[in-house]
Amino acid sequence: MHGKVNVVDNLNLEVEEGEIFGFLGPNGAGKTTTIKMLLGIIYPTSGEGYVLGREIGDMNVHKVISYLPERPYYYEHMTGMEILRFYGSLFHIRDEAKFESLLEKVNLAGDKSKTISQYSKGMQQRIGLAQSLLNDPKLLFLDEPTGGLDPIAHTEIRDLILQFRDEGRTVFISSHELSEVERICDRVAIIDKGKIKQQGRLEDLLSGGRIEIIADGVSQEVADKAKSTDAITSFHNGRLIVDMPETTDVNALLDSIRSKNGKVISVVPRRRRLEDLFIETVSDKPGADRSAGAEVGS
Amino acid sequence: MNAVFSIANTTVGEAIRRRVLLIILMIGVLLLSIVPSLGVLSARSESSVMIATMFFVLRFTSALIAIILTVYMIPNEIERRTIYTILSKPVQRWQFLLGKFFGAVLALAMMIGLMSLVMIVLFWVFRHPDIGKLFELGRQALLYFVEMSLLAAVAIFFSTFTTPLVNFFISIGLWLVGTVLNPLYETISQNNSNPIMQKVAQFATTLLPNFENFDTKNPIINPGSMIRNETVYYLQVTGYGLLYITILLIGGILIFDRREV
Repeated sequence: MHGKVNVVDNLNLEVEEGEIFGFLGPNGAGKTTTIKMLLGIIYPTSGEGYVLGREIGDMNVHKVISYLPERPYYYEHMTGMEILRFYGSLFHIRDEAKFESLLEKVNLAGDKSKTISQYSKGMQQRIGLAQSLLNDPKLLFLDEPTGGLDPIAHTEIRDLILQFRDEGRTVFISSHELSEVERICDRVAIIDKGKIKQQGRLEDLLSGGRIEIIADGVSQEVADKAKSTDAITSFHNGRLIVDMPETTDVNALLDSIRSKNGKVISVVPRRRRLEDLFIETVSDKPGADRSAGAEVGS
Repeated sequence: MNAVFSIANTTVGEAIRRRVLLIILMIGVLLLSIVPSLGVLSARSESSVMIATMFFVLRFTSALIAIILTVYMIPNEIERRTIYTILSKPVQRWQFLLGKFFGAVLALAMMIGLMSLVMIVLFWVFRHPDIGKLFELGRQALLYFVEMSLLAAVAIFFSTFTTPLVNFFISIGLWLVGTVLNPLYETISQNNSNPIMQKVAQFATTLLPNFENFDTKNPIINPGSMIRNETVYYLQVTGYGLLYITILLIGGILIFDRREV
């Protein structure tokens, strides 16, 4: 909570071990506040929270988690290698070979002697990922990891995140980039006004695609029939455009169009996208709340 | 203590690269360098003028460095989000604050050390004093270092809950008031018969950091003035500084520990 405004309220997130979890929400929804609370950087006004089965702020948890904030800043006078030495020292890690291998992993081995001020945004993000791997974390919190990066840097960071999952790490990503989240996340939660509105496996949440039918020479009687179904219709001068859930009886509508001498121009199945779900969820439509409760843990 | 040391080390690295501090340091060194030529303007003993002016330059420059170095220290870490990557590691907030303070003190030691060295070398070159005099100069420079460490602790304390600009004025205000506390108290005690005013003066003198205690240049300049028991005095003053620093740091840690960053 900030002052008298509830930034997050009664929040339960279930993150499974070894998955990439997408934490989505519009600006000001409480994503970063939630992450900071989970990390013990800010304190909830009331209640309690657990990460990996331990109370928030427990230093033993901090030994096995990691955090990459949005647009992080690193001491500009330091080189990539010195950054790893500094963050490593906070874990009592002084293993030069480990630093070298992490730089190799994020493709910065050749730039380890350059200062951070000489790094591009993408390189700074990669050194950020390298420092977040110093303690071999079980759980990584990444806040907008691809925000503001060019498409090449984007791809590099995405590949690294996928690699983390392959290594058995749990990755918790807060992001606005829905297409990115849809590509890499196993499960997502959508937060709005401090409350979880949706939570679950992507394939479950995005199930139920839609079908778009366009037909000409359609009679008013058929158009009325289409309108009576769970579909979004448009009818003008005999042209009917219907956008209906794939679960509806599409063939029955097609048959009735043809039986009244209508001409079917196209039938296009349209997969439901995360963007559709996100907009539906945060645009205050009724029935958008499908959250399941549990604590953060993996 | 590993985390404290690492944070202190990084803080020093950053502090000695801050342009504004380096410019102030350069101006300080430059002013110290031209002080020997000012002696001819005074009818008083040239050595006394030289020492007094050098001490003034050293003290004022050091105070400016101490304040500018520390008022931005914590707010900058929050604004640039560096603090998040550090506090998400197994680092407690008190370790972070102590690391920042010790880093500031180390950077101050380097900068005050450099200016003191310039001062002592110049005095030796232009006045050929005996080694005892040089030792006195060095001892006073050391006391100024303790004073500036206390000033850094004041600024760090206020930086846990105020903005840098407000902190700058509070810190510089406290330092200026603290450098005139003794004469102020004496004036009020002697010229004001109101016991309430005397109590207020006594309370303020006790509560506020008394920076005047660290300035012992009078016995160095004026042979007629002396400290009765020097060793006891210097130990007491240093102890006073360390105690005050400890209290300020504990206060700062308590506030910073509950603060949202």
